[in-house]
Parts: sequence; C-alpha cells; structure tokens
Amino acid sequence: MPETKLIAELFEGGWKKVEVIIGEKSMVFGKEKIDFRNITDLELTTFGGKECIRLKSGKDYYLSFGDKQRQIFRFLAFNIKSDKFAVYFLSPALRGGVLVANSKWEKGYFSITESAVWFLSPEKQIRVPLNAIGSVSRDTRTVGDKPRVVLSLTHLEGKEVITSFVLCPETTLELLMDYLRRILEQQKPKEKFSEIEEQILTMVYTGVDSSSIESVLGISTEELNKIYDKFVSLGIAKVVKIRKEIELTPKGVVIVSEIAKKLGGGKGG
Amino acid sequence: MVRVLVVDDTAFMRKLLKNILFSAGFDIAGEAENGKQAVELYKQLKPDIVTMDIVMPEMNGIDALKEIKKLDPNAKVIMCTAIGQEQMVKTAIKLGARGYIVKPFQAPKVIEELKKVAGV
Repeated sequence: MPETKLIAELFEGGWKKVEVIIGEKSMVFGKEKIDFRNITDLELTTFGGKECIRLKSGKDYYLSFGDKQRQIFRFLAFNIKSDKFAVYFLSPALRGGVLVANSKWEKGYFSITESAVWFLSPEKQIRVPLNAIGSVSRDTRTVGDKPRVVLSLTHLEGKEVITSFVLCPETTLELLMDYLRRILEQQKPKEKFSEIEEQILTMVYTGVDSSSIESVLGISTEELNKIYDKFVSLGIAKVVKIRKEIELTPKGVVIVSEIAKKLGGGKGG
Repeated sequence: MVRVLVVDDTAFMRKLLKNILFSAGFDIAGEAENGKQAVELYKQLKPDIVTMDIVMPEMNGIDALKEIKKLDPNAKVIMCTAIGQEQMVKTAIKLGARGYIVKPFQAPKVIEELKKVAGV
C-alpha cells in the first residue's frame, strides 16, 4: 500500500477525529507510531458504540475507519506480527455439523499470532481466537478430484461451531497440528468426565435446554445443577440463564380456582 | 407433519435427535438401532425422511440406504456421520442420500437440513 493519509476516529475516553498515515511498514496517528511488526493482535469489533478495529501493540488501540474499514483491516491482517504458512483453506466447510454449500477452497495463508490463528486470503480474513479452537485432527477430503490429507479445525464463531479445512504440504501440516494440539492441551481440563457428564456436554453443545436434558436422561434438577456447577468451575461452560421454579401462594391458588371456573364453563357447563 | 425415522446404534444419539426433531415440530415415526431394523421399519412406517447413522452393527447405514432405495427410489435419507468419514458420505450421496450431518451437530443446523430435504 502506498503511503495513505486518511481521517479516522480514535477512542481515547471518547471518539476523536485523528489523521492516520499508513505507510508500508508502520502507521502514525496522533502521537503514536505503530510498527506493523509490533502489532500482536487485531480484530474487527464493536467498541464505544462503533464498529472499529482493535489493534494491540503493547496496549489496545481502537480505530474506526468508516467505509475504508474492511480495506484497512485486510491490509493490517496481512502485515501484523505473525507466522504465515502458504496453504489452501476451506472455511467454513461445516457449520453446526452441516455442509456449507457455497464455500470454496481459497489460496492464501494460515497465520498464527500471539492470541489467534487466521485464515487469510484476498477475500477472507478470518480471525479465530486461540480459546475458540475446539479440536484439531487429520481428515481426508477430495480436493480437485484427488483424496488429500487435510487439517481439520473446529472453532466457535459466536454460538456456532465451524469446521474448517487446511490443505498444505505434509511437513507444514505436522507442524500446525503439533502447535494447535499443544494449544488445546493447555486449554483442556485435566478432569475426567462420567458417561452422563459427557452426554450432558453433548446435549448442551447441540442446544438442548435444561428441562429436556432432565427428561431425556431421567435426572433431577438438583443433579443437573450439580453437574452444571462442575462444568462452570472447570471453565468449560458459563451460566447464561438462571431458571426459576415457583409454587403458588394461597392468593395464587384462589386465582387458579377462578380460572378453572371460567374454563369449566361457569354457566353450568 | 413430516414423519422421521431415526436410525442410530447409540440410544443416547437417538434420544438426542428425537428431542431436537420433536421440538421443531417433526413427528417421530420410529427409531431403529441398526440398518436391518431400519429397512424393516421403513417398509412398515413409510416415513418422509430417515436420519441414518453410518457405522452400525448387523447392517451398516450404507447397506441400509441401498436396501431402502431398492424399496423406494424416492426415499429421502440423510446420513449422520462422524468427522473423517468423507469417503463413506460420498458413497452414500452416489447411492442417493439427500444430505448429511456431521456429529456432533447443533440443533438449528440439523433442523435446517431436514427442512431443506423435506421441502418445507
């Protein structure tokens, strides 16, 4: 990118207009000069009520580039501090376990930064935070009519589980597998799970609600809550809703009696 | 209402699928724990859709699909696979399977796939 001057907004307690000069190796805004090789993390996000780019270079900076945002983001994604491997990738290949029909193989990079891995191509810049990676394995896919060994990566995007595939030379594949497995090993709880705990985990993943889990597995709310508490304490789940169970007071019972009269046909029916 | 025959050798997986499908308004026509049972139940129940696991004892999902297709060339069968079974999925698609879902799956996507195949 040739040196480019543009007006953006920088968040410093509030959004302020700032001139940004983007060069080949660094960018300048206000009193800051950021060398791209010192940017250790980057993401498109919403902050202070605005869609913006968060970039980390020692500390976090939030910059909003308006209609130039995607273009700047793409440029930075290719230039931040990372280990890049030339690959072909298919992302997303599966979404929630179902084939994504319009997804196609792209030539680009699998890039590794301090806190994320990226699928990079001119079309796509997909950031996957390390703590959003679910599993990594080898798989055989047909690419260009030939069966090829690929790296299969499952990761969370919002609440959806995505599976992506990476096609690369065997030595690169080994290296990436090794790296990603080490990351997963660090994140994995050492705890062993009982069969019922594994079934509950699978059902939560699938999207089954608590009362259905109780009815499918034949367990009480107390038993389920105890298992949920264990998952939460291990950091493998978080509480998103607290269910309330109620019983009627005498006043409530009177109201229900009145309702019953109405339903039963108060006119003698 | 779309009637579904759920085929899987794991009781838990059958329960899970039945729960998802029932919540989404599908009617569970029946369930089978292997391919042989699936073929028998298909003859009796004539479901609108079959969700078919691939790896099962007695008769696997691929052979069951072949048998069901012999009985009813228009049968709508969706294969349920685990990651790493792409080759079998390709065989199934060639044999006439209408779609596939990969375990572990997420409910909204499974429902989407079934609705697509059922044409609702």
